[in-house]
Order: sequence, then C-alpha cells, then structure tokens
Amino acid sequence: MTSADIVSCTDLVRRYGEGEAAVNALAGVTVGFTKGEYAAIMGPSGSGKSTLMHCLAGLDRPTAGSVVVDGVEIASLDDKSLTTLRRDKIGFIFQSFNLLPVLSAEENILLPLSIAGRKPDQEWYDRLVDTIGLRDRLSHRPSQLSGGQQQRVAVARALVSRPAVVFADEPTGNLDSKASAEVLQMLRQAVDDLGQTVIMVTHDHEAADVADRTVVLTDGLIVEDRRTTVAVA
Amino acid sequence: MLKLSLRGFGARKVRLGLTLLAVALGVALISGTYVLTDTINKSFDNIFATAAKGTDVSVTPKDAVVEGNGADTATTIPAAFLSKVQAVPGVSKAVGTVGTSNVALFTSANKRIGGGGAPTQVISATPKPFDVISYTDGRAPTGDNEVALLASTAKDKHIKVGDDVSIVGNGPRQTLKVVGLGKFGGVSNVGGFVAVIVTLPEAQRLAGVKDAYDEILVAGKPGVTPPELRSQVQSIAPSTVNVRTGQQQADENASDIHDALGFLTTALLAFGGIALFVGAFIIFNTFSITVAQRMREFALLRTLGASRRQVMMQVIFEGLVIGVAGSVIGLLLGVVLAKGLRALFKLFGADLPSQGTIIETRTIVVSLLVGTIVTLLSGLAPAYRATKVPPVAALREGAVLPPGRNARFVTPGGIVLTALGAAGIALGLFGGGSVALVGLGALLVFLGIALLSPKLVPPLASFIGAPMPGIVGRLARENATRQAGRTAVTASALMIGVTLVAFVSIFAQGLKATIDDAVDTAAKPGTLIIENTAGGSPLPAQVAPGIKAAVPGVRTVAPISFSTSKVAGVAGKTSVSGIPANISQVFDTQWKQGNDATFASLGATGAVVTKKFADAQHLKVGSKLSVLTPTGKRLSLTVRGIADDNSGLLADLSVSHDLATTAFGKTGDALIFAGVPPAQEQAVKAQLDAKLKQFYPIAEAKTIQQFKDQQATQINGLLVLIYVLLLLAVVISLFGIVNTLVLSIYERTRELGMLRAIGTSRRQVKRMIRYESIITAVIGAVIGVVLGIVFALAVAQALSSDGFKLSIPIVQLVILLVLGALAGVLAAILPARRAARLNVLEALAYE
Ligand SMILES: Nc1ncnc2c1ncn2[C@@H]1O[C@H](COP(=O)(O)OP(=O)(O)OP(=O)(O)O)[C@@H](O)[C@H]1O
Ligand SMILES: [Mg+2]
Repeated sequence: MTSADIVSCTDLVRRYGEGEAAVNALAGVTVGFTKGEYAAIMGPSGSGKSTLMHCLAGLDRPTAGSVVVDGVEIASLDDKSLTTLRRDKIGFIFQSFNLLPVLSAEENILLPLSIAGRKPDQEWYDRLVDTIGLRDRLSHRPSQLSGGQQQRVAVARALVSRPAVVFADEPTGNLDSKASAEVLQMLRQAVDDLGQTVIMVTHDHEAADVADRTVVLTDGLIVEDRRTTVAVA
Repeated sequence: MLKLSLRGFGARKVRLGLTLLAVALGVALISGTYVLTDTINKSFDNIFATAAKGTDVSVTPKDAVVEGNGADTATTIPAAFLSKVQAVPGVSKAVGTVGTSNVALFTSANKRIGGGGAPTQVISATPKPFDVISYTDGRAPTGDNEVALLASTAKDKHIKVGDDVSIVGNGPRQTLKVVGLGKFGGVSNVGGFVAVIVTLPEAQRLAGVKDAYDEILVAGKPGVTPPELRSQVQSIAPSTVNVRTGQQQADENASDIHDALGFLTTALLAFGGIALFVGAFIIFNTFSITVAQRMREFALLRTLGASRRQVMMQVIFEGLVIGVAGSVIGLLLGVVLAKGLRALFKLFGADLPSQGTIIETRTIVVSLLVGTIVTLLSGLAPAYRATKVPPVAALREGAVLPPGRNARFVTPGGIVLTALGAAGIALGLFGGGSVALVGLGALLVFLGIALLSPKLVPPLASFIGAPMPGIVGRLARENATRQAGRTAVTASALMIGVTLVAFVSIFAQGLKATIDDAVDTAAKPGTLIIENTAGGSPLPAQVAPGIKAAVPGVRTVAPISFSTSKVAGVAGKTSVSGIPANISQVFDTQWKQGNDATFASLGATGAVVTKKFADAQHLKVGSKLSVLTPTGKRLSLTVRGIADDNSGLLADLSVSHDLATTAFGKTGDALIFAGVPPAQEQAVKAQLDAKLKQFYPIAEAKTIQQFKDQQATQINGLLVLIYVLLLLAVVISLFGIVNTLVLSIYERTRELGMLRAIGTSRRQVKRMIRYESIITAVIGAVIGVVLGIVFALAVAQALSSDGFKLSIPIVQLVILLVLGALAGVLAAILPARRAARLNVLEALAYE
C-alpha cells in the first residue's frame, strides 16, 4: 500500500450471514494496485475473487477494513456518492457481456458518458474504436454481433470515460479461445498504449499470463502475489 | 401440476395482486349496482306495502292515456263516488285521500325543508286501519292548521312537536303547528323524502282539489276477501276509475319506481361492463407477459413429459383461480361500493331510500360468473401460446417465444374489427338501430384499435418521448417500443376510458352549445323563465294570472303546460303542449308552415305539430287528428301549422293553453314565460322575485342567461357523475400500466443491474421508468382522445337533424392529455421505486 496506489484495500473483511453459518468471503485482505498496472486475480472457486472485486469497485460494502480508490476512502460513502464514483472512476467488464439490446454498439460504448451527461472526447473515442476494430459495426445492435464482438464493445464501454481503473470479472469466461485472446490483447493494449489500469478476475492461466501481476486468493486470503515473468509480446 | 401452479402464485405477488384487483374492481361495480338497486327497490316496495297495509281495495282515477298508476294522474275522483262505495255491502270503511307534491315547506325561521332531489309530499291523514304513520311523538293532525312530519325530517331541521312550520301550495302561505312526529310504517330510511301529513280538507286546499279525491281506500268487513271486495266495488264503479286490491295498487305504485330503477341498473351495469372490459385487457396482458417469462418453466415441464394440454391446463387453472378469487373480492367490494354509490347519488341530489343491504342470489351468481368468464377468456390466448413452447427452449438460454402463427393476422384482424365496429355504430346511429348496437360497435372498434395499436406504438412513442432528454429519455422510448404489443395492450386499456371521457365531454359541450343556440334563437330579449324549483314539477295554474296581477312591469305572461294523449293511428303516446295565444311576444317559433298568428287562432279545434311528427305521420296543414286526452275526452283537431322547433319547447302536438287546461285534466304549468321590457329586466325581475318568494316559493324566475347557465350546470353535474363512474375503468387501466412496468422491470433486472453498476443513479433509473410509463399512458390518451372525437363526430352527425351543434372543447381535451401524462407519473411510482431499490449485485447475478 503506497500512496501511489490507484486502488487499495486494508484488512478488508466481507462476511456473509450471521453466527454459526457466517462465511468470511474475505478474511482480511490488504492489497494495492498502481496506476498502469494489469493485474489478474486468481484462485479456486469460492475463494472470494468476485467479492474482492465488488468491494474494490464500490458495488459491495465491506464488513470491516478500508478501500481507497483514487485517493478517496469509499467504505463510508453513501449510495449516491458510490454511484458517481463508479460512473466517473471505474469501468466494468462482465462475464456475460451485459450490453443494452436496444442501443447500437456505438451508443453502448458511449453509455457511461451519456449517463453522466458528458460529451465524448472524440480523439479518445476514435482510438478506442480502432483498438476494438469494430468501426464498421458501430450502428449494429448487440444481437447482430458475435459474443467476442460484444465483449470488445463492452471493453470499449469500460474505457470510454478514461476511468481510474477497469475491473473485469472473468471477461473471457463465455468466449472461445480466439475471441478470448483478442479481448485479452485489447486489455493489454489498454494498459500499454492507453495508460489504463486493469484488474481482472480469471480462472484462466493463459489469461493471467498476459497480466503484469497475479494475486492468488484462497479462502478469502491472499496466498500469493507475484509479478508475471513472461509477458506476451 | 396443481401444486406447481399454486407455488407459482407466491412468486408473483405484485402481478397477482394487481390482476386480482383488475378483476375485482369491474365485478365490484356490477355487484354494487345490483346491491344498490335491489336495496332501493326493496325499500320502495316496503314503503308502498306499508302504505297499502290496511287497504283491502283501492280506487284511483283512470288516466285514459297513461296505463295504470294512480299517483299523479291528470284526473280526480268526484267526492260523490265515496258515499256510493261506502254503501257497498262488503265495505266496512272507506275514506278519500288527497296528496300533492306541489308544495313548499318552511321552518318557522323561513328555511326551506326538502326541496332538493327528493319530493315533498302532502298526505292526507287517514283513520285506522288505513293509517300508515306510526307516531313516535305526539299524534295525528285532527284540525286545520295542524301537521305531522316524519321524525327523520324533524331531526334534520331540529323541529319539535309544538313548533310552527309554514307551507305554500295552491293558495296563500299557511302556518301549521307540528302536532306529531312519526315513522312511515316500519321504514326507517326513506332517503330525503319529506312527508307532510295534514287533515283531508287541508290537503284538498293545498292540492287545489274541491269535492274530489286522488284515491279512495276501502276496508272490507270480516270474511270478505280483497278480491271479493274488489269485484263488489268494481260493479258500481264508472269507467273513469281503476279498482284494485291493496296489493295490486302497491305493485302498481312500485312499478314506476322499478322501471326507473331498471334504467339506472342498466346504466350502472354498462359502466361495470366497461370496467370489466378494461380489466380484460389487463388480465390478457399479464397472462401474456407471464407466459413469456415462464417459457423455460413450461419447456422444462414439457421435457419432463408434460403434455401440451397439461401446460395449457396449468395456465387456465391459474386463470380460473384468479377469476374466482377476483370475483369473490369484487362481490364483497360491491357491497361497500353500493353504499358509496348511494352517497354519490345523494351528493348529486338524489337521496334515495335504502334499508339494509339486499344481496340477491342473482347478484352473487352474475358477479362470480361474469368475473370468472372474463378472466378465463382473457387468459385463453396466452394459455394457448404457452403450449407452443418447444421442449428444447428449456435448454436454450434467452430463447424467445415464437411470434405465434397467428401474428400475421393481427393487423388485418384489427382492420376488420374496426370496420365491423364502425359499421355497427353507423347502423345503430343512422339506421334506426339501437343503443346496444352502438355499444357493441364501440366494443369492436376498441378491440380493433387495440390490435392495430402495436403499429402505432413506435411512431407515437418516439413523438411523445421526443422531449424527454438524454440517454434516460432514449432508453425510455426504446423500452416502450421493444415490446410494442405489450405497450399497445397496456395503452389500449387506458384508451378505452379516455375515449369515453373525451366523447362525453365533447358531447356535453355540444349539448350545451345546442341548448344555448336554441334558447338564443327562440327566446326574445327580456324574457324571464319561471319554473318550479323542484325541476320537472309543474306550477299550480293560479301562478301565471297571479304574476300578471302582482308585478305591473311584466307585459306578457305566457304559461306553457304539458300533457300526453293518444292520437288515432299513431303508435304509443303523443306528447302535448298547451301554448298560449300570446306566445309570439316572448318566443320565436321557427315555422315550416304557419306564422306567429297561428297559435293565437288555434281555439278549441286547431293544433300545431312539429315537423318531425308531421314527417313521420305524413301530416299536412289541414290534416285531421282524433285525440284522446288523459281525462278520456276525444277531441277532433285540425293541423293549422307545422313548426320546426329545436328548442324542445313544443311537444309533437301543440294545442291552445286553454284547451289543454279544460280538456287534459290537471296539467299545471311546466313553465311560464314573463315578457318584460329588456331595459328594465333586472328591476322587474327583482320585483318578481320578491312576489314569488312571498306567494309562490316553489316558483323561481330566471333570465335567459340564468336559464342557460342552469341547463349547463345540470349537464355538468351529470358529466361529473359519468366521470366518476368512468374513473373506475381508468384506475383499472392504471393498474395495467403498473403491472406491465413491474413485469418489464423484472425481465430487465440484469440490464438495470448493469446500468446501476456503471454509474446510473437511482434517480435516473426512476426517471427512466417514469418516462416509459408516461409514454405508455399518453399513447393511450392520444388514441383515446382521437377516438373520442371520431365517436362524437359520428353522434353529432346522427343528431344534426335535431339541431345538434358540435363544439369541441379543445382546452378540456388538452387537459385530458395532461391528465394522461400525470396518470403515467402516478402509475410509475411503485415500479420506479422497485427498480431503483434493486440490489446491484443481485441484479447482476440474476438470470
Ligand atoms: N450473497 C452471498 N451470500 C452468502 N454467501 C455468499 C454470497 N456471495 C458470495 N458468497 C460466498 O462468499 C464466498 C466467496 O464468493 P465469491 O463469489 O467471491 O467467489 P469467487 O472466488 O468469485 O468464485 P467463482 O470463481 O466461483 O466465481 C463463497 O463461499 C460464496 O459462497
Ligand atoms: Mg466469481
């Protein structure tokens, strides 16, 4: 935890249920991620990966401990401030692509800005569209796109507001290997070329290999935190 | 299977609750109507049965025109006949009675008693066994200037035995001392009815009847049965009287009330029908959406080996349960609603008697049957669609229901239904058809438009939603159109109510304009109109000459009387107006043939007919008519003129006022025109008001403007009543919007979760739902207003020959649209709150 961390948590506990049946999904996690980092969170099923991500992203409230995003302690924020935080500082990529079926690809990408009532930065938007390579599909509805294409739209959506950090929960979980590789490559590009920070939950070792760092959780505790040695070109 | 259906219920509380309410409210109006009218009927039966209790035989004057009934006939029974009746061997006692409702009663402080919607009725006190009043305080009146009142009236006005009241009837005002208070038989609640019990001579004075009776009550000697007594009395009776047993007379008296209430029942049931019809849309929509959402459940059942029939039966079973449960709730609600309706009528001046709560078997059977059948019918199509779910759908995620094989018939079907409905309306309006045909036509048009409206939803949604800003507005528009059929059905339910409200407003506006126009063209400036304060009742004959004598500023006094007749060769009764010779000084008749001098030259043999009557009966000037009057006189009249009257003043047949008075029995004057110099109108009216107040408080003078305003007020009152009754249908359609929104939100849980996750605020979510609701509601309102205008145009066209002037109240229609939008806001409250409250993580995990 250094002050340079863009996202960090200290002694983070998230408990579900009461008394005997209580489960500590997170049992005291302290971790920080720096700007421009591409981190993978791994671990067996039920180890608390999603819970950690949700707490860091302001979607879930920790039972104890603190979470700081871009210098703001969020554990004590109310729903309204958390919503604004998610809108302005955080990008999301979900396993199932979660695009709005009634909007075109372009409108889906711009959705976070539309919600905030802001105009897109045209240059940034163009770079994103080029990165995902779907310029000719922008007017299509999600139902007219393949799964991989939909997830690329979701990646662009997560990046469009230049968030402090992008969270991705098993972004390749529903994709075949080719589409997976494309999405992972895109996240890599977002970090390398666009200077973004990406934290990704994954089961996939190949996916983790693309990242700079791998944090491994087991039973709600960090059991390993290592720099990835081999970076894919 | 059964258990599965039942478990499904618990998981769908909101939609279940709202669907139940949709059924229940419609049924409630039906059962409420029955309970109300049955209760009133029964109360009247009680009153009349009580009145006839000691009477074995009743003798009433025979009205030659109006069959049966003795209450307010044009004739009386000569006093000499009473002694003949008393001489009949089987008679132990016979008395004459006189009554009149043409009176005004005042407290000692000169405050009017009664005078609202319910009548004030003078009843002559009768000795035992005929006496109908049981005294709780004091005694019956025995001398002149004594009076007994109902305890309920006394309580209302804080009158005690020993107090004075004053009464004005035929003749000058009289002061009466209250000597007794009582109940009308065993009937505790007679509504606003005011009974004034006085001695027979006093009653005769008040009614302006000399040596005559309205009814002779007869009691038989022991051992003589009423039928025997009836035939004994009949044998000596002239042909001008009816002789009936007490029971027959009570039934006869009650039959008028039954007829009037029958009309009320039909009218109220129509509103119940409308509410149920709207409810059917809601039920249909709810079932459709539910079936679509439960596709995977059905498919799973199918893979587990359930047959199509079983799946269908499951949905039908749900419909049955909802139908029966909703109907039972509705039935019970109806009992409460009946009290509400009674209060509503009281508010509008009709204080009806009601005692207890009468729930007939018919009420229960009809309510349960209608509610259940409507629910089952509306659920049938969705149930059928449920069977179309292929078993493999269980395996596929996000599979959608195949767009039914009949989808392509929807639009043509809509066109056919609309056309058929329009034809029905046209036939009903122009082809001399019936109101029922018009109603059926309207029903078909509603269904047709509902089928067509999925095509109307997208353009209307983008138009109505255009001013809604930002992505929230964009999503609301998209969400409203993504299931256009669903939005269409939801909007159509509201459309029905709005159509009727719009139609009624336009029609009422036209009616007011028509009346204004007719009055303006007919009445000359400076004409005052004098009428009975209890609208509809005539004024005693001496009022007109009295005014002339008492108010010098009045130049012309022209009394108009109404009666009925039977004209040889004409089916049914023909209405008659008695028109004075000087009518042209106050009233402009539009002549087809004849001129202003015609009325002055009618004498005892001339008549004027309306153009409509003349056309229907092929009459020309010079045609001869053989006319039977209520007193049994046969007149031979010659048509002297044909009037094209839109004011409604002239009846089909007009005779001279003098002839109406001499040959048609006790007519009284329905209204009196008083012509004053226009410049002095206000001054003369003030004098007139003062005299009327003193001598004829039941009469009231109005300027032309006041008369028009009063007509408008009456129409507005009726309008409000209709609005209130239509409100139920509108409320039900709002439930429909709530239901559709709730179900749609449920379907879009994940989308909402995602929107919230990426930073959509709760307020934005709420706004999105609210916009969607407004779009749906305004679509319904817009189509409804347009349809209402179309209906009004059709009706106006049909009535144009009667001088109906169409006048479209633009402001009111705009208000209606705004109210539609507000209704949308209202309907969105609950769904929006639910949507905003969604837990983001659960919503995201939701599948
Ligand atoms: N809403 C909840 N209520 C109760 N327990 C929960 C809830 N959500 C998660 N848990 C529990 O918390 C623990 C961590 O769950 P989490 O979803 O974070 O695991 P995960 O590492 O993401 O697993 P997976 O790889 O399967 O997605 C699990 O034991 C889970 O059962
Ligand atoms: Mg997980």
